[in-house]
Amino acid sequence: MLTAVRMQLRVCLLSVKYNIMREMLNPVTFVTNVVFMILNDAAILVQWFILFRLRGDIGGYTMKEVMLLWGLTAASFGLSRVLFTRVFSLPELIISGKLDSYLVQPKNVLLSVMTSATNISAIGDFLYGLILLVACGFSVSRLCLFLLFTVTGTVIITAFALLLGSLSFWFVRADMLGNQMVSGMISFMTYPDGIFRGISRFLLYFVIPVGMAVYHPVHIMTEFDVKMFFEVIGYAVLLMAAAMIVFYRGLRRYSSSSLMEARM
Amino acid sequence: MEQAVLFCENVQKSESDRIQALRLHESKYHEGGGIAMYVIKAEDLSKTFRVRVKEKGMRGSIRAILHPQVKEVKAVDNVTFAVEEGEMLAFIGPNGAGKSTTIKMLTGILYPDGGSVNVLGLDPIKSRKQLAHRIGTVFGQKEQLWTHLTPYDNFRFFGAIYDFSDKETEERIEELAERFELEAFINTPVRNLSLGQRIRCEIVASLIHNPSVLFLDEPTIGLDPVVKENIRELIKQMNRDYHTTIFLTSHDVGDIEKLCKRIIIVNAGQIVLDDSMEHLKRHYMKQKTQQAKDGNQPDTSGADISLEDIIMEIYQAEGRRIE
Repeated sequence: MLTAVRMQLRVCLLSVKYNIMREMLNPVTFVTNVVFMILNDAAILVQWFILFRLRGDIGGYTMKEVMLLWGLTAASFGLSRVLFTRVFSLPELIISGKLDSYLVQPKNVLLSVMTSATNISAIGDFLYGLILLVACGFSVSRLCLFLLFTVTGTVIITAFALLLGSLSFWFVRADMLGNQMVSGMISFMTYPDGIFRGISRFLLYFVIPVGMAVYHPVHIMTEFDVKMFFEVIGYAVLLMAAAMIVFYRGLRRYSSSSLMEARM
Repeated sequence: MEQAVLFCENVQKSESDRIQALRLHESKYHEGGGIAMYVIKAEDLSKTFRVRVKEKGMRGSIRAILHPQVKEVKAVDNVTFAVEEGEMLAFIGPNGAGKSTTIKMLTGILYPDGGSVNVLGLDPIKSRKQLAHRIGTVFGQKEQLWTHLTPYDNFRFFGAIYDFSDKETEERIEELAERFELEAFINTPVRNLSLGQRIRCEIVASLIHNPSVLFLDEPTIGLDPVVKENIRELIKQMNRDYHTTIFLTSHDVGDIEKLCKRIIIVNAGQIVLDDSMEHLKRHYMKQKTQQAKDGNQPDTSGADISLEDIIMEIYQAEGRRIE
């Protein structure tokens, strides 16, 4: 069992390595992609600086907490796109029958698919997250919590995209709904949860999993809460388990295709 | 053309006899006395796809939302056959006949709707990973290689996929590169290779784990005659040197004629013929001679029989039967 896991990890790491090697074929493009993503993310934060000059508190958040929120969002989303970017284009793979080559390999189909591509500009997102953490006030315990919640955030974002993407096994244009929901999730992740009340708050905690991906972690990093801590971990595990079940159920309906294709 | 239908029916009789024999004897005795080892067994294999039907134009699109209609298409319909160890089998048919769907069910890509399938003693769905260790697949229309990497790096990746250590992978690459003459371009990125070199590498990549059965779905599609010949030679070599069972689908009669001793023709999801190449030609010749005797056809007994003609006649006869 342990050997199988080790072998699977070896293939996943090799796949990520080859993906990054492909992106580094042109070093100038590689570096500019990463740098411009950091600048792009930083530019958006300027509006928050202006807002906090006008008001000292927005939705119960100070500027430092908003930076932490942004940092965690950027790092989680970035890591998810670096390691598992294919999950965001899963509907296209399902609809065009591009899962064949993964199904004939003696490895976990889902992991092989998810790690089969990378998004290089997302490295900029991840680095930006770390920069913001340092800017908010660095400490070792904070870094540990930040990295842990980056992992749970990555798991939650990836699982949510996987869950919605897998609907394409059943519904032809489920990709539209999936894309909207994932984009909505990323947008909501960058606003303080205190500004949401009633039904919108309910939706952000129970339908679009923003609450567990970033809101709870930011609260825990501001003021540690054991109950919240285990809620986040448990939620990430359960959501990923549910997404995997849906994916493998859907895989039974996979119909492949005869389209010409190339692994680029 | 009525004669063609008759020919097809006659051959079908022998095919149904064969299936019956297969069902009665799980492992029967060869003429030579050895046990026939079946590496692939499919019984009543079926697969139906549900396809959405939409009327033309915008009105049709709106109607499809309000009253969605679904048509069932039987891609594979109760197909039964078996393949012996080391055999080179051509599994052919016109476009949409169900060839690729059958291969995909044999390799664990698609779930069958009915019947049973067994490859190397394993159920492709229940034991997909174990089976993948023992079979190789080449889909001529779908590339598995990373185009920015060299064949060597690709082979290293495939070695890792099949749980080989670095040393084992190195040894295997060395052996395959030498045997299949890849040395000249093994360190050139795949995107810079010619199509023939690329397909050659695709096939070799599928051999890295020394599979017992190799599924080739149109491996020579789009290749020039010289490269086609090279690929055929490579396939023959694999069969000869490693005793690899070859399951081939191709529209190229040259592939079938030069590689395979047995042929299965499918149409509309059903097997319409399962025979040895030699028997097929002999049977066809006999039929033609009989027709000439009856005065229905000119005497062609002395002429060279082209496999393409036989296949065309069967396709046409089957096409009319379906219509």
